[in-house]
Amino acid sequence: MRKLIIILLATSLLWIWQGSVIMAKTNISFWTTETQSERMKTIQLILDTFEALNDDIQVKLIPVDENDLPTQMAAASAAGNIPEVIEMGSELAVTFGSEGIMDFGAHEAVINKIGRDDFFKGALQLTTSPSGQAYALPYHGWVQGIWYRADWFKEAGLAPPTTWYNILKAAKHFNNPAKNKYGILIGTKPEGFAEQVFTQFAISNGAREFDADGNLVFNSDAMRETLEYYKELQKYTPPGPQTWRARDYYLQGKMAMFFYSTYIMDDLSLADVAKGSLTGENFDGLGGVGFDSNLVKNTKMVSSFKNTQDSSYGVIVTLGITKAKSASKTSAAKRLVRFMYEEDAYVTFLHMAPGGMNPVLRSMAQSDKFMNDPKGIFKHYGKDKISEIIGGLDHLQKFEIVEGKMFPASGEIFAQKIIPQMIYKTIFEGVSTQAAMDEAEAEMRKIINK
Amino acid sequence: MVIRRILQKTGFYFLILLVLLFTLFPFVQMLSTSLKHQYDWGNPSLIPQKLNWSSYSELLGLKKEEVKVPESIKRLLDNPKLSEEKRQKILARFTSTSDVFPFINYFINTLLIAGTAAAISLLFAVFGAYSFSRVRYRGRSGIQRGVLLTYMFGGVLLMVPLYQISVHVGLANTAIGSILTLVVIYVVQTLPVSLYMLGNYFRSIPESLEEAAQIDGCSRLKTIMLIIVPLSMPMLVTVYIYAFMIAWNEYLFASVFLKNFNEFYTLPIGLKSLFVSKNAIWDRIMAASILTALPVVFVFMTFEKHLIGGLTEGGVKE
Amino acid sequence: MASHPGSLAQQEARFGWKTVAPSLLLIALLIVYPVAYNLYLSFFEVKLSGQNEFVGFNNYFDLLSDRAFYDSLTVTVIYVIGSTLGTTLLGLGVASLMNHEFPLRGLVRGLVLLPYIAPLISEVFAWQFIFDPVNGIYNHMTVEVLGISDERVNLIGTPGNALLVVIIFDIWKNFPFAYLMILSRLQSINNDLYEAATLDGATRWQRFWHITIPELRFVVGAIVMLRFIWNINKFDEVFLLAPNVKTLPIYTYFTAFTGTIEQGLAAAIAVVQFLLLIGLIFLYIRRVLKW
Repeated sequence: MRKLIIILLATSLLWIWQGSVIMAKTNISFWTTETQSERMKTIQLILDTFEALNDDIQVKLIPVDENDLPTQMAAASAAGNIPEVIEMGSELAVTFGSEGIMDFGAHEAVINKIGRDDFFKGALQLTTSPSGQAYALPYHGWVQGIWYRADWFKEAGLAPPTTWYNILKAAKHFNNPAKNKYGILIGTKPEGFAEQVFTQFAISNGAREFDADGNLVFNSDAMRETLEYYKELQKYTPPGPQTWRARDYYLQGKMAMFFYSTYIMDDLSLADVAKGSLTGENFDGLGGVGFDSNLVKNTKMVSSFKNTQDSSYGVIVTLGITKAKSASKTSAAKRLVRFMYEEDAYVTFLHMAPGGMNPVLRSMAQSDKFMNDPKGIFKHYGKDKISEIIGGLDHLQKFEIVEGKMFPASGEIFAQKIIPQMIYKTIFEGVSTQAAMDEAEAEMRKIINK
Repeated sequence: MVIRRILQKTGFYFLILLVLLFTLFPFVQMLSTSLKHQYDWGNPSLIPQKLNWSSYSELLGLKKEEVKVPESIKRLLDNPKLSEEKRQKILARFTSTSDVFPFINYFINTLLIAGTAAAISLLFAVFGAYSFSRVRYRGRSGIQRGVLLTYMFGGVLLMVPLYQISVHVGLANTAIGSILTLVVIYVVQTLPVSLYMLGNYFRSIPESLEEAAQIDGCSRLKTIMLIIVPLSMPMLVTVYIYAFMIAWNEYLFASVFLKNFNEFYTLPIGLKSLFVSKNAIWDRIMAASILTALPVVFVFMTFEKHLIGGLTEGGVKE
Repeated sequence: MASHPGSLAQQEARFGWKTVAPSLLLIALLIVYPVAYNLYLSFFEVKLSGQNEFVGFNNYFDLLSDRAFYDSLTVTVIYVIGSTLGTTLLGLGVASLMNHEFPLRGLVRGLVLLPYIAPLISEVFAWQFIFDPVNGIYNHMTVEVLGISDERVNLIGTPGNALLVVIIFDIWKNFPFAYLMILSRLQSINNDLYEAATLDGATRWQRFWHITIPELRFVVGAIVMLRFIWNINKFDEVFLLAPNVKTLPIYTYFTAFTGTIEQGLAAAIAVVQFLLLIGLIFLYIRRVLKW
């Protein structure tokens, strides 16, 4: 009996204690896809500073995994509590914008305040509706590339992976499952990563979702060829459905190439830090372990490759303001977004992941404050390489944009993971290439005809 | 003959070892990976090359590491409009390492939600089970069977309607409403079995004890409180803990109802969301898994005798 | 106080209803009502905006003409039968082992329960790591140490194999439940029965077959039924370990919450699942348990 009473008492006390937390005021919420705890910390600091400067506003930070974002938004809008500000990839901003969730007027106002001309044209294009309205504001961006073991390539006398032929040849060469070594990592799990990798291949073969007149041309010979090639490459990827997390295998020296964003520059620098802590007397105990202290030095990246044409792929991450319940919330959201573009806040944000988060404002790209990152990554890769990456953000090639025209349906196709599902089905569920493409095309039609 | 005995004995112990290996191996793996450095994950050996305690100290907020404050942050905070006090507060939050995985916070949330749900379930079940086992009225056995039938309604079957209902009632968009919904859901999930287990137990208490109390002038309610409850203490503890453990481990409903309220996450969803908190995650996630499992294992070991009795008598639902 | 039997019985009845009412009310509100509501939803196309459109039996027709539904049905049947049988048999085996005296028996009995009581989510991470195609110990053992297989496989990732892993995981997680119930029944079997049988010259196997099994019949029957019910409804174990194993509850979840959100169709799947469960339980009770 005593035990039980103690338990009950303790429980009610805890409720009261916790109750005081619930009573605290809340105002606007900020959803971010930067779920890593280190990054959350920096974002929290920016929000804290914003709150300190704006007594009347409280911002709540909520991390959402990028693959869950569409589902979470659907649930939140059903419950009537969508966040006021969202940090998300441009594809999702386009999707939510087409669904009428985003506040175009608010975006325009903030863009004009910052100065429209300061934004990279290519980045703005990805967030602007066919009728010229802003789905969201471009905030930062990354470029995708093939990262590879330059030392292995050199030793084997192989050319860098800049063409379909070279990629496949190298993947075949290095793949040796019996020794637990693999040629390449491409995305095959039904998640966003698969579409990101696949898109770059498709574009390098001239395959598109839409033509310039807006006709769905997904089911084309070029696309089929791409999917066949992708299936061939998958044979040299670690077994089973894989996503970006498999890059661990590269860091362990078990893989020759992997698709990844420029975010890896930050992760590799962490490996560099790890190396630092493992040298000296610590290192003796590590004999035989697959830790390569020269990995960072031996890693090179190719951001553009081709079959019939050059392709470069990347993602513009945006800040979006939703249609809020009240004018005061909208105004708070606008002030927050404006604040996040202020020089020091912006640099603080971008320096969370040097290389991975690159500015989309011309003025920032040339700023010395930005170039001087706290981890010294920019110095390591050199100013030219960084400028090249940032410059790439102005020329990203994506399904949404055909000959300068925006096709928002591509955003929704991305949100619903239609292409990743197609890849997964044809590789792992024994569906033929053509049948998988037909199915994907039918799903796309459903979206267009909605 | 002797050789045969020895062989039999060896075979027997071999089987016991095999069973232990099968049941414990995943836990050993968990512990092993939680203590490995990242460079060591690809190494199949269970023994870490070099012990890595950092995930534990990070998760428990024990890491006293100097956090470097980047230049841009210093400039950001060097704003005349910010008071020194506010500046220090913001910086303190940034440099503290305690909120990577607010383990203590999640722990308290889970304790609260599971503890409350189990207490309410127990309270309702005491009276309901008394009614089933002691009071005679028409329709009793009908309801009793009906209650057991609700055993068959699984989580996902209830998921969609419960979510829709809570949205319509307006409970889903506030933290307190969502927590309340969750508590009530856990109460209901455990109620049928609590009723059943307690009912069976009450039947084993001699009715003569109760009759004596009634002759002394006790009301029915008083009899329950003074005779039945004290006599069933072991079973009440069992039922409580059993209901508690279900709520403690529950994932599906918690993930749907608490998604937007991360300061009220329970351990299971906290753990699930921790998975995306770092790109190289295995040491951290395994350490958190160990930390999450420990309290349950501890409670169970403490109350093992009670629980095993209860589990076998009630046929526990999960 | 004068009272006639009728009013006493009435009083008794009133008291009975009063004490059970709170529980009934809650169950009605949170189980019976949702189930009814679910049935209702299954005849609608549910819109997130709240304006549902009545579509009659269309959701059911859609479902019955969808190949994915039949695939899901097959997966569910294999999963339920495999895990139920495995759990029960392993529980039976371990219980008969633990029924013997040996040193440290108390400790071992406690340890065997760990999978059942530790939080599911933490166990799932360990299992995923064990079966990792490149770094996991499973592939290391089968390929490099034992040489059973000559290529590494992603057991959890590939749909066909994942079902097998999920079944084994389920057995691992839940056999302690069967073991506990069987063990307590074993310990209550009167030893005289065995002694008498030994005197009659019965072998160990005969004793097991003719005494133990009949004594265990009801407890095993109950375990099979309970596991059957739970496993048909099981969501989190499958979803967290391998969401690519689409049993009916997983299929319902994906339909209701991802991609093109179709909660009406999801409700229809849930209804079909429930009917299936009721039907099978009825058959089981009539044919197998002969109750």
